[in-house]
Amino acid sequence: MTNWRTLLLIARRDFVERIKSRAFQISTALTVVLVLAAIILPQVFTPGQAGWRVGVVGTDAATIAASIVALQGDTDPIDTIGIPAATREAAIALLENGQVDAVVVAGEGVLTTGGTARALATLASGALTAVELTERAASLGLTPQLVSELLSLGSNNIASIDGAADNDTTGAETLALFTTILLFVSIVTYGQWILIGVIEEKSNRVVEVVVGTVPPRLLLSGKVLGIGVLGLIQLIAIGIVAFIALAATDVANLPDTTGAAVVATAFWFFLGFAFYATAYAAAGSLVSRQEEAQNAAFPLTLVLMSAYFLATFSISGDNPIIRAASLLPPFAPMTMPMRIALGRASASEIAISAVLMIVGVYVLMRVAARIYRGGILRAGGKIRINEAWRSSEG
Amino acid sequence: MLEVIDLKKNYGEIAALRGVNLRVAKGQLLGFLGPNGAGKTTTMRSVFGLVAPDSGTVLWQGKPIAERTRLRFGYMPEERGLYPRMRNLEQVAYFGMLHGMTRHAAEAAAAMWLQQFGLGDRATDRLEQLSHGNQQRLQLATALVHSPDLLVLDEPFAGLDPLGVGAMGEILASQARAGTAVIFSSHQLDLVEDLCEDVVIINEGSVALAGAVRRLRSAAPHRHVRLEVRGAAPDWLDAFHGAEVLSTNGDRTRLDVSQGVELGALLAAAQDAGDVVEFSYEPPSLNEVFLAAVAR
Repeated sequence: MTNWRTLLLIARRDFVERIKSRAFQISTALTVVLVLAAIILPQVFTPGQAGWRVGVVGTDAATIAASIVALQGDTDPIDTIGIPAATREAAIALLENGQVDAVVVAGEGVLTTGGTARALATLASGALTAVELTERAASLGLTPQLVSELLSLGSNNIASIDGAADNDTTGAETLALFTTILLFVSIVTYGQWILIGVIEEKSNRVVEVVVGTVPPRLLLSGKVLGIGVLGLIQLIAIGIVAFIALAATDVANLPDTTGAAVVATAFWFFLGFAFYATAYAAAGSLVSRQEEAQNAAFPLTLVLMSAYFLATFSISGDNPIIRAASLLPPFAPMTMPMRIALGRASASEIAISAVLMIVGVYVLMRVAARIYRGGILRAGGKIRINEAWRSSEG
Repeated sequence: MLEVIDLKKNYGEIAALRGVNLRVAKGQLLGFLGPNGAGKTTTMRSVFGLVAPDSGTVLWQGKPIAERTRLRFGYMPEERGLYPRMRNLEQVAYFGMLHGMTRHAAEAAAAMWLQQFGLGDRATDRLEQLSHGNQQRLQLATALVHSPDLLVLDEPFAGLDPLGVGAMGEILASQARAGTAVIFSSHQLDLVEDLCEDVVIINEGSVALAGAVRRLRSAAPHRHVRLEVRGAAPDWLDAFHGAEVLSTNGDRTRLDVSQGVELGALLAAAQDAGDVVEFSYEPPSLNEVFLAAVAR
């Protein structure tokens, strides 16, 4: 029997047993629900374009509202209601207690608050300008026909030559953050599965029979492969649900870098998971009881957390520390995808980082396999890493 | 043939094995005996590469054991362990496949063994739903599913009820008859005596006695004599050297007689003392051989 067959057999068992488990099914369903909720709920509770209310002082409210709708063109019509207000003070009071979203004051401009949508402010100001222009033209003796001819300019459109929407930096940052959180959560989650799985096999002693039959390194890599593939499938499923929900609700414009970010996320999940899962397996082999699991994994979780925080700090700007971290294996799985999503990583940096990561995974697999081998067959209390290392030759 | 040659292993200051030697041929059923902590489990684990000995070798068919060779071995460790949530047929078949069987063959063999152990109707139950004795049977099934050439069982009788003990003994014997080399450890010496032709007794990490049970018993420096002499003076044996009274019950006496003593002389002395109703002798039981071998 080839090693590959054994590896796949072990991977398959871990995959199948877990996918059939109630706990996995519930956690997957729960995650999907949470992701959907995170996307859909803000839609429900934040008033959208429909139902914008504009307070108007000194001008005909209906005219302003009509002008806003006219300016908006053929995109989703907004339901704008003009509310006439007697005085500027009255209008401000309405704005302050949230009865209107913006106030148009003839001869002055548009009053807004922090809660006013930027699009509404722009539209209202444009509408005010249009209304005033029309009035002034009329007072200069131009007929309504001439006025409309004067104002219908066809040359002020913004057109993108590559067909993509304008580069929305906030979109890129949101995507980068989302990617990093997803990577962090999934590596931690699936790493914990590995950790628990290894301790389970050790504490119920089945490992003795398995390792009496197949070499420990195959058990280790089979487990990492099986759970890794399962994790990747769960991740992709959640990603698809999120993508569909985003597309359906139109909550955010996906930036140009979306495609690259998705590919990078999958790639770095694969390498990052292989790296940390192997380390989690080695940590798990050093203890015998589930209660000791978190202690055993603590140093690893610490490294992962610092990689995660480095990545989130890097949103505010690149610096040499973050650039260096994005090249080094323990930090790269978090920091590099972040820099890629932000469009800050150069091709050569990505290449160096990927190569170092692959080398890192290989080296760690060798080291962890030896610790795992030494640790997994020793029952009793916690085993020190160097003991496990020494008791396992070759 | 499995050969364990001069195996030594230290755990820190403690010498677990101080040069263990043993052989099990195909078709042989070898009992592996020794007090707790003598090194039985360490020896057995070293066959599976679960212990790296400090020195010495383990050979199968004259060659060091490679990963591939081990696929032809079956092992039931002292501390039983399987996957608690796996379904029974799947679990046994899984271990068959780990040993290189195709899925089809492994499932067929697993079904056969479940049937054999009376677990045919528990195939889709999970291990954790089985009683302790049935879990033990399933553990044995995982060691047997791939029809191993070598079967190593650490305390296979521990925790079984008398029915289970009988069935287990029958399976071990039939495996040996079918040509498998079988080695098992046990503390139930009467059972070993019935089951095995050969035993190895280890004590404090080295072999104290090894060979055929019958030969070990007859080669023991002592034998037991059972006497019933009517009308003899109570002290008639005092004049006879080399015999030690183990127990007396009226006219009946059990004696421990050293190998050098002529039994004819003892019989003659008994006849002089009174009417000999019974005179029989037998070598010591395996239990006594064992106790003598491991006595400090």
